[in-house]
Amino acid sequence: MKNQLKVLRAMRNWSQADLGEHLDVSRQAVNAIETGKYDPSLPLAFKISRLFDLPIEQIFDDEFEGGDNV
Amino acid sequence: MFNADENGGRNALRILGMIFCGFGIIMLLGAITGFLSVHMAEGGGPLNLAGYAILAALISVTLVLAFAIWRLFRQMKRSDQKVPQREKVYNRFLIGSFLFGGVTGLVLALTGSFDETEAGLISNDAMSPMLAIIMSVAIGVFMPAVTFYWHKNLVDEQEEAAYRFGALIAMYAFWFIAPVWWFLWRGGMLPEIDGIALYFITIFVALIVWFWKKYR
Repeated sequence: MKNQLKVLRAMRNWSQADLGEHLDVSRQAVNAIETGKYDPSLPLAFKISRLFDLPIEQIFDDEFEGGDNV
Repeated sequence: MFNADENGGRNALRILGMIFCGFGIIMLLGAITGFLSVHMAEGGGPLNLAGYAILAALISVTLVLAFAIWRLFRQMKRSDQKVPQREKVYNRFLIGSFLFGGVTGLVLALTGSFDETEAGLISNDAMSPMLAIIMSVAIGVFMPAVTFYWHKNLVDEQEEAAYRFGALIAMYAFWFIAPVWWFLWRGGMLPEIDGIALYFITIFVALIVWFWKKYR
């Protein structure tokens, strides 16, 4: 899943380790999420959302473009 | 700061290098021990020139590998501008486990816990009851407790997912390798199925997949 994590991290001038410290995960986890190799769990996504004070859908993009609510 | 650890992905290769060097050292120490044991069994006394050359070569390569581990470790430390607290504890735990396992194995090998007919722990040869009990308690009691602590406190969700995927692939490896081996044995093309060999194959597959998923 595409996401804005790297951009948001850059805006705060944080390293992956800094973000990992805030989220209580390893740098590998941060890197895997940023590169789209790992999709975070819902609790971790909410934690990220609270940390950056943004709604989840502004951070993560599931690339859904349809009009139906599915 | 932002780009401080962008090259952190290289640490995967460094860790892999350290693991291979570690295995190399263990094998070389086994070779040195075996070489000296054979020499002692043949009457001992001073080594001839060829003996010294072989021993010097084995010791030199061991030292080179030890130096390589130290350098890789230093490089890894330098690349880590800052490491999350969870990861720090994780790394210390991992290094401690490797050291404990390595030192225990070394002590067992050097104190002659195996008789001269044994190939070591990884064989089907007989072993002393005391060593069998020690190994059983270590793997049946100590390891599960350590593993429980590991998963409960140190592993984050990305690594947990890597473990799960590794376990799934290892399960499929077992499902497919065991019957293939069994059929080929029945066809007279392979020796009888070795449960411990299957165990190690399964563990190896799980570790490879875990490593790939965690560090790729």
